[in-house]
Amino acid sequence: MQHLDHDRLVFLALGESEAADGESTHLVACGHCRGELETLRHIAGLGAGTQGLTELPDPPEHVWQGIVAEIQAAEELPTLNGRRPPRTGDPADVGDRSTTVVRPRRGRRWPRWASTAVTATAAAVIGVAGTVAVLGPGGDDPAPQPTVLASAPLAAFGATPKDASGDARVLGDNQLHLHVANLPSVPGYYEVWLIDPKTMEMFSVGTLSNGSGDALLPIPRNVDLSTFTVVDISAEQYDNNTRHSGDSLLRGTLTG
Amino acid sequence: MASRPVTAARQGPEPPVEDDLATRFRDGDEAALREAYDRYGRAVLHLATTTLVNRSDAEDVTQATFVAAWLGRETFDPAKGSLIGWLLGIGRRKVVDRIRAAARETRVVETVKQLPEPVDTGPDPDTVVDRLVVADELARLPDEQRRMLELAFYDDLTHQQISAVTGVPLGTVKSHIRRGMQSLKRRWEVDGAAPGPRPAGLSGAR
Repeated sequence: MQHLDHDRLVFLALGESEAADGESTHLVACGHCRGELETLRHIAGLGAGTQGLTELPDPPEHVWQGIVAEIQAAEELPTLNGRRPPRTGDPADVGDRSTTVVRPRRGRRWPRWASTAVTATAAAVIGVAGTVAVLGPGGDDPAPQPTVLASAPLAAFGATPKDASGDARVLGDNQLHLHVANLPSVPGYYEVWLIDPKTMEMFSVGTLSNGSGDALLPIPRNVDLSTFTVVDISAEQYDNNTRHSGDSLLRGTLTG
Repeated sequence: MASRPVTAARQGPEPPVEDDLATRFRDGDEAALREAYDRYGRAVLHLATTTLVNRSDAEDVTQATFVAAWLGRETFDPAKGSLIGWLLGIGRRKVVDRIRAAARETRVVETVKQLPEPVDTGPDPDTVVDRLVVADELARLPDEQRRMLELAFYDDLTHQQISAVTGVPLGTVKSHIRRGMQSLKRRWEVDGAAPGPRPAGLSGAR
C-alpha cells in the first residue's frame, strides 16, 4: 500500500488543506497514516497551546530556600533512631576539608549560593523585626527589640505532609522564636530540640501545644549554637519518656 | 512576538548546554541543582499552579519536586530523556497525588455533608506537561523554524501567508515547518506525559 507523503500529513494536520478524495479513502483504510496524522494534529494543538509559556514568572525565593533547607536536613541527618555511622578519619577532616576529594556527607558546607539565599532571609527577618519595633507600642517600653542572630527555615521531614512548615529564629535575648504551620495533629504534643548533627546529641528546648502558631522558648545557657545547629520538632507521646521519640516532623539548620 | 524560551533566558544562536547540566546534576554537582532550578523551576511551578487550586500547594509541589529530584538523582538517566522532562514527570506525579488526596478528602466531606459533586479541577496535568515539553523544544529549534511554526500556531497563518509576511519562499517555509514539526513530535515522544497515538517501534521512554 502506498502511504501518504509525510509532508501531506503535516499540512493536513496544520489544517493547511483538506484531504483529497483519494487521501481520505487511504486514511480510512490505513491505521499507520491515520495514527501519524492524529499525532501531528495533537502536536499542532500542543504547539498552539504554548503561546503563554514564553513568559512564565519565576518561583518565589522561599521555594528555593525550602529546597535547600529540606535537602540539607535530609542529607546531613540520617535518622534520629539510626546510630551514627562510623566515619573514617574523623578527627582529620575537621580542619582540612578543602583538600578532601570525597566530601563527607555530613557537616559539609554548601556552596556560597546556598547560604546566600539563607542569609538574605535572615536580613529580611531583621527587617521585619525592625518594622515591628517601629509599629509596636512605643513609649512606655524602652527595651530594645531583640535582634535575630540566626534563623532556620523548617521543612517537613520524612513522612510529614509537605504543607507542614516553620521558621526558627535565635533572638539576641537568648530566646528561640518558633513559628510553625500545619503540623499534623498528634495524640501527644510537639517538642522542640536543638541537635548537634555531628554527634546527634540534643537539648530539649520546650514544647508546643498547637500545630500552627508561634512560641518563644528560652534557650538553655549551656547550648553552643555553633555546634547545635539543627532545629528539630518532634511528635511526642505522654509516655513518661523524656527522650526524643524518633518521630521528627520538621527540621532545619540554623545559619546567620 | 515574544520568543523568550520557556526554560531559559537564552539569547542568540548559542547552543543549549543541556547535556552537560543533566550530567552534572546526576553526578551531584550542587551548582547544577541551582542551575536546573533557575532554568526549569518556572516550568515546574507552572505545571503545579495550573493544575492545583491552592497556590501554596503548588509551591510545595515545586519544592518537593526539586528535593525529590536531587535526592533521587541517581535514578535519572540522561540517555532516556531530558532533565526537564524528568523533572516534569516527578512534578506530574506529585500533582496527581495531591489531586487524588484532595478528591479523597472531598469525598469524605461530601459523604458527611451530602453535597453535590464538586466542580471539576483545572487542566489535565498530562496536557500541561506536554505543552511545556513542546514549548521547550520549540525554544530550541533554529530561529527560522521556530518563527515559521509560531506564525502557524499562534497567528493561524497558512504557509502562503507566512511566505508573504516573512518574504521567505513558499518551498522554504514548508520545509522549515515540516522539520520543526518533526522535532516537536520526536521530543514529545521521548518526554511527553500523555498517552497518545505513537508509531510502532518507538517505546516513548519516559
